[in-house]
Amino acid sequence: MDELELLKKDWKKDEDSKYPKLSYNEIYKMILKKSSSIVKWIFIISLLEFAFWTLISLAFKGTEYNKRFESYHADNIMIPLMVIAYAILIYFFYRFYMNYRTISATDNAKVLMENILKTRRTVKQYVGFNLIFMAISAFIALGIQFDRDQEMISLIENASANGEVFKFYAITIIITIVFLGILIAIILGFYYLIYGILLKRLNGNYKELKKLEV
Amino acid sequence: MNKELEHNFIEELEKNQNIVHKVCRIYTNNQEAHNDLFQEITIQLWKAYPKFRGDSKFSTWMYRVGLNTAITLYRKRKRSIKTEEFDAFQYKLSSEPYDDTEEEQLKLLYKAVHQLNDIEKALVFLYLEDKNYKEISETIGISEVNARVKMNRVKNKLRTILNP
Repeated sequence: MDELELLKKDWKKDEDSKYPKLSYNEIYKMILKKSSSIVKWIFIISLLEFAFWTLISLAFKGTEYNKRFESYHADNIMIPLMVIAYAILIYFFYRFYMNYRTISATDNAKVLMENILKTRRTVKQYVGFNLIFMAISAFIALGIQFDRDQEMISLIENASANGEVFKFYAITIIITIVFLGILIAIILGFYYLIYGILLKRLNGNYKELKKLEV
Repeated sequence: MNKELEHNFIEELEKNQNIVHKVCRIYTNNQEAHNDLFQEITIQLWKAYPKFRGDSKFSTWMYRVGLNTAITLYRKRKRSIKTEEFDAFQYKLSSEPYDDTEEEQLKLLYKAVHQLNDIEKALVFLYLEDKNYKEISETIGISEVNARVKMNRVKNKLRTILNP
């Protein structure tokens, strides 16, 4: 006999006595409990990501560095940057929320997986955007400092008196790049870990389904 | 209104709970995991229930939500499942006596099914539940042809596990 037929024969036998019978009250208690689904975790982590980047920009305000920066009178550059950052935050959050709302356990398995991955991708793009934005801002800030920071200007003057102005610029820029690189690597590593653990199974199953379509 | 919805839902689920138990049987290996998955499927069913329009049967709809939860949504609450528990936890095989070889073969079969991946398990489960390929393809989201092809591969895989 076909293996599966044999299995089916057993599967169908004594269905009513084989499984536990939960009572009305037991089921009632269950629906009061909280879900621990993967979607819920992605939602929580995504909210934390949005909060993290917003807090970072807020925490930056009022610091010593920020006060010094205000003395450069570079508002015409910094305010547009802030506006862009917030506009993009709102855009991403809107897209994230709309994606999140389309996730439904009543879709077929493949669509459900796609919708979850889409939600995740939006947040990933947001993080990517922030990293690029952070790098660009750092260089704009560096440019402003070269131009307007008294301490920096006197250092540049000293360096050019010694004929090492090129070396000075090069070292400053390289230090900035290395610093940014390390920061980005840490942040990316962190994401890789969290989502690697969280989405490993989903990604595997999704790939399996995709494989069938080829 | 909400109370009524709740009441209808619980009654329907109580009546059809075997479907959820069977999904758990395919996807879990011990009592604790079974209960945990059962709990999560119940929550997902309840969350999706307001959108249940009744254009399909409640039981048909349960298959979909149940499998989606098992394959995609479910995240174990507790990570550690001791390997010794695996074998200790076995559903009763049918009370009607089989001959020894058949019973042995069944045990091996259930063990083999647990070695399949999540998607393959879903196919086997729907097959055991007498779903046709149209329903299988709609539940999983692949074409009917691909569902057939995959099903044959799964059968072969089980055969190889049983007769190495």
